[in-house]
Parts: sequence; structure tokens; C-alpha cells
Amino acid sequence: MKRKTYLLTLVLFLLFFNGSILLITIVNLNTSLNNTRSSCLREHDFITAALAKDLNALERRGSAAESALSSLFGSYVSYYGKQNVYLALAQNSQTLYSSLPPEQKLTKTPQIPPVGQRIISTVASPDRKYISISGALPIPYDTYVFSYYYDLSEHTDSWKQMTSLLFLIGIAVSSLLAVCLILLLSRIFKPLRQISEASQSIASGDYANRLPVTGDDELAEMAGSFNNMADAIENQIAQLAEAAAQKQRFIDNFAHELRTPLTSIYGYAEYIQKAAITEADKLEATGYIMSESHRLQNIAYRLLDLAYLRSGDIIFAPVVMEELLQSVSETMYAKAEEKQITLAYESGFKLLDGDRDLLQSLLVNLTDNAIKACISGGKVNLKSFMQDGNKVIEVRDNGRGMTDEQISHVTEAFYRVDKARSRAEGGVGLGLSICELIVACHGAQLSFVSQLGEGTITTITFYNSLTSR
Amino acid sequence: MAEILIVEDEIPINTLIRKNLELVGHKCSSVYDGQAAVEIIEQHDYDLILLDVMLPGLDGFEVFEKIRGVPTIFLTAKSSLSDRVKGLTMGADDYLTKPFEMLELLARVDAVLRRTKKEAKFFAIDNVTIHFDSRQIFWDGAVIDCTPKEFDLLEALVVNRNIALSREKLLNLAWGYDYEGDSRTVDVHIQKLRKKLGLEERIITVYKLGYRLEV
Repeated sequence: MKRKTYLLTLVLFLLFFNGSILLITIVNLNTSLNNTRSSCLREHDFITAALAKDLNALERRGSAAESALSSLFGSYVSYYGKQNVYLALAQNSQTLYSSLPPEQKLTKTPQIPPVGQRIISTVASPDRKYISISGALPIPYDTYVFSYYYDLSEHTDSWKQMTSLLFLIGIAVSSLLAVCLILLLSRIFKPLRQISEASQSIASGDYANRLPVTGDDELAEMAGSFNNMADAIENQIAQLAEAAAQKQRFIDNFAHELRTPLTSIYGYAEYIQKAAITEADKLEATGYIMSESHRLQNIAYRLLDLAYLRSGDIIFAPVVMEELLQSVSETMYAKAEEKQITLAYESGFKLLDGDRDLLQSLLVNLTDNAIKACISGGKVNLKSFMQDGNKVIEVRDNGRGMTDEQISHVTEAFYRVDKARSRAEGGVGLGLSICELIVACHGAQLSFVSQLGEGTITTITFYNSLTSR
Repeated sequence: MAEILIVEDEIPINTLIRKNLELVGHKCSSVYDGQAAVEIIEQHDYDLILLDVMLPGLDGFEVFEKIRGVPTIFLTAKSSLSDRVKGLTMGADDYLTKPFEMLELLARVDAVLRRTKKEAKFFAIDNVTIHFDSRQIFWDGAVIDCTPKEFDLLEALVVNRNIALSREKLLNLAWGYDYEGDSRTVDVHIQKLRKKLGLEERIITVYKLGYRLEV
């Protein structure tokens, strides 16, 4: 593109530049030729008139015109010979006198003009050019034809000189132009080159590369939109990388979660098969095999729940809040009782749009976590109320609490705040991942506020616009 | 034989390791987190520690930093190369990735103990005493003639005592992996050992599996 523009511009310029030089010199030459021609005419006029007068004067004095003519003509010739002018006189097509050098034989003899008229023409000898003007002398000497030759050699020489000078200047200017043009074009095309380089570096994975935006022309605008595009790409790549990292963490954790029970199951089976063991040992080993198999089963069910929720098809129906909370606290009653934890609920609004079973599962999960966080004698409160026109459900406990770091990971699959205790109580580390999905299915938001040693408040906020469909 | 501490937070796996090690006569203690491990090591001397890398509280590497000097085998749940390399560069004696097989666990424990334990290496059963260093077998103090293969076979049975070993496994352990013999070779050698050492009641034939030395 740059090359093409460069060549085209250069060729066009050279064409026009040299063309105008040519045109100007031609016009110049023509004007000067015309000037010369008219001055020649004047001279011819003057000489003819003078010659006629002189002849007349000679005749009146009584001398023979013919014999005097030679000396008379000679004086004119010697005068005009200094000005590159040659003269000739002819009578009845016979040349009487001529100052043209004999070696300058004319290629074309001038015609005999009719009486009272003059012929202007350009004649040439082998190496010179002349403007020739011939005309008869006034009556009574009209048998004489006087010719006036103006030598154009100097003229053409100076014209040739000027032309070649102009072309020399032309070549110098053209080279200068070629250099300037290349610099100018590189400057103009620089943004394009930068864009191409930047897109190549982006394509090869350096997503942070940006173009400098200067001025406010079209190129700056283009650089601006290019940068926007690069921003968008960078963001999407970052999101993809984050999603991939999360998936990788999920797979790593999942592999670990599977491997741990499998190690036990395989190990105890091998132990029963190969070792010399007592009946009590065998019972213990089979017990472990069964409980670890159960754990695997739990993981499988939980993963199925997750998959089902991800597919996202849930049916909304009005759920009676009072009844939902009651049902949840009845489900958890035995567990709370066992740890001597007080479980209470309080409903602040009547109906909530949602999937009853999923909401129940959500609240049971959260209550279960709350109970696990409490020591014996703790309190767990379920409460629903209106806040800023939005429906809110809150699960509050006065248990161990979490750090901010723990809260940021708490909904990640297989993350456990307290690994040892969670396993001991049969958790698989997927509860809150499922809760988060249920909440997301309802277009609501799940948030945690916690203080180490003081307890945790889990809040589910159902935003009006999304729940009142 | 040796006193071994097992540091592993998964109770079933901890118990499994302990039961396997007790089969071959080791004395084991179990702890379930890093802090407890550090405390118990300060109070008691162990010949070997089996240390899980992923522990609640202090992780395995941090525990290892604090207990320098005790022979250690790392248990890495992740078969991640970086964990294994890190453990070894820190100076651990070996590592074991989960899931592991019983025989692998015992072989690695045995190898580390042989390297690190300074007491005499011998094993006694009934009237028979086996000296591993000099590769000699005594019957009531008198040297018994036996071929190198017979000794290797007996050693494999003793190291993995109370555990049934298949004929193929015994071939691998005593003859090496490149031995292309018949598994009946094992039967013949077992018969010879039983007769020579009077271990008919000790070397048990396990139905469909192989042989087991019961102690």
C-alpha cells in the first residue's frame, strides 16, 4: 500500500512537473519568436524605405542607381552584419547581392513575393535557421526584391540551454521530492504499521499491548477503537483463564475427594484378603469400606444436584413462608437437640415466589452449617423480613465464625472451612456450592457476614424485580 | 520391631496404615493433625514418621521443618510431582503416593528402617534365627545350609509376614522381575524351606492366593 502510494505519487508528480517545464519553455520560445519576428518586420520596413529613399536621392543627383546600389547595399550589410542579420537583394529572381555566407546555402530559396506584399518564413541552411522576410521595394523600384535574414542560432541555443537547466533543476527537485515523500508516507503510514504490529502481538498472546492515541483524527479514532477491542479481548481471555483455573481446581479437588475414600476402600479390601486377621479386625475393616463407599455415594448425589441446578429449569410458585420455615426447623430439630442448640424461626412476610423443594433444601443446608458451627448451647435463628422493599431470609448463628479469606472461598466446590470436622460430620464440601446455585436460580443474592468467635449471618436477598414475575 | 508415628488426618487411612504396619510387628501411634504430631514427637522418640502433606493446621512440610532428624516418609495425596520433589529436597527419606498398595507401603517402610536403624538386623521365629546382614540361617544356634534363592524367598516372607503373597509376587521379590520361571518353582522352594526349618505350621498355604508366614 505504502509502496504503491509512493510510486504513484512520484510518477504523477514527475509527469506534471516535467510537462509544465516543457510547456513553459515552449510558450516562452514562441513569444520570443513572435517578438523577434515583429522586430524583423519593422527592420525590413525601415530598410526597404531607407533603401528606396537612398536610391531616389542617388537618381536625383544623377548617378546611376545600379552602380551606386552596390556600395549602398554594402554599407547596410556591414551595419546589420554585426546584429546577426544578413541581407540580400534580387532583381527579377536574380540575386544581385547577398551577405549570406556562401557556405550557408539555404535549403529553400525564398519565393518571390507579389508586389506590395511580404513573405515571412523560416528557412534553414544545413546548420542554421533564419527568419526570412522578403518584399519588393516601393515603386518605382519594385523590380528589386529585398530579403532580410535573421539568424536564430543564438535564440535556439539559449532556449536549449534554458531547457536543459530547467530539466537539471527538475531532476534535483524530483530526487528531493522522492526522499521527502518517503519520509512523509512513513509518517502517515506509521499508525497503520503500529496497528498491524499490535494486532500481531495480540494474536501471539500478548493481550496487554495497546496503541498510543495522539490527536483526534480518524487514525486516533481507529487506534481508540482498536484499544477498546484489545481491552474486550483481554477481559474475555482473563475470564476464560479464571473459569479454566476454577474448573481445574474443581477437577483437582474432585480427584482428591475421590481418591481418599478409594484408597481406604482398596486398602481395607486388600487387608481382608491378604492379612491374617481376627473377626474384630474384619468387622472394623468392612465398616470402613461401607462408610467410605457411602461417602462416595454422597459425592455422586451432590454432584447430580449441582448438574440438575446448572441446567436451570425450575418452576416458580408461591411458597408460604411460615410453613417453609416451620418445615425446615422440624427437619433440623433432632440434630439441633442432639447438640443442645436452640433453633428458632420467625416469619415477616407471607408468600415468596420460588421452588419449594429447592428453597427447603437451601435453608436446611444453611441451618445445618449453622448448627455445625455452634458449640453445645448455641443459638440458630431463621428469620424472614422485608428490607428496602426486598424479601430477605436470614440464618444467624453464634458459632465459630469465619475469616474474610474463608468467606471468599466458602462457595467453591469441595472447600471446607474446617476440613477435619467437616469430614467427621459426613460433609463432602459441596453444600454451599449447591446453595449458591439455588439462590442464583431464584435471581437472588447470597452473602455472608461473619466475625471469628462471634458467629455468622447468612443472608439471601430476593430482589423485587426478579421475584415478582 | 520399630516405633512408627502415623500423621494423617483421614481416620480410615490412618487406621489402615496402622493395621498394616502392626501386621509385620511394628508398634504404631496415630495422630490426626500437624500440631499434635509436633507435640508427640517432642515427648517421644520414633524410628520413623509417616507424614501426610495435606494436614489441617500445620501442613506436612511445616511439621517436617520442626522435627528434623527423625526419618520421614511423606504421604502425598496429590500425585503432584512438585510435592514429591519438595519433600525429597527437604531431606525426606522417601515418599508414598495415595492410593498405595499394602506391599509398597511395607517395602518402603522396611527400606527406610534398614537404612536408618542401627540395631542388629535379625529375625527370630520358633527355633530359627535369620541374620539379614550375613545372610545366614541358624537352627538352635547351628548354621543351616540354604541356597541364595531360598534365603531371598524366606526374607520376602519375613518382611511381609502375616500378609498373603501370591506366587507371582514371591517370584518378583525373590527372583526378580526378569525371571521367566514357572510359579511352581515357588512351591518347590517353599516345600524345601518348610522341611529344612520346621516351619510347616508357620508358612501357610492361602487358598487361591499363595503363601503367608504367620507369626
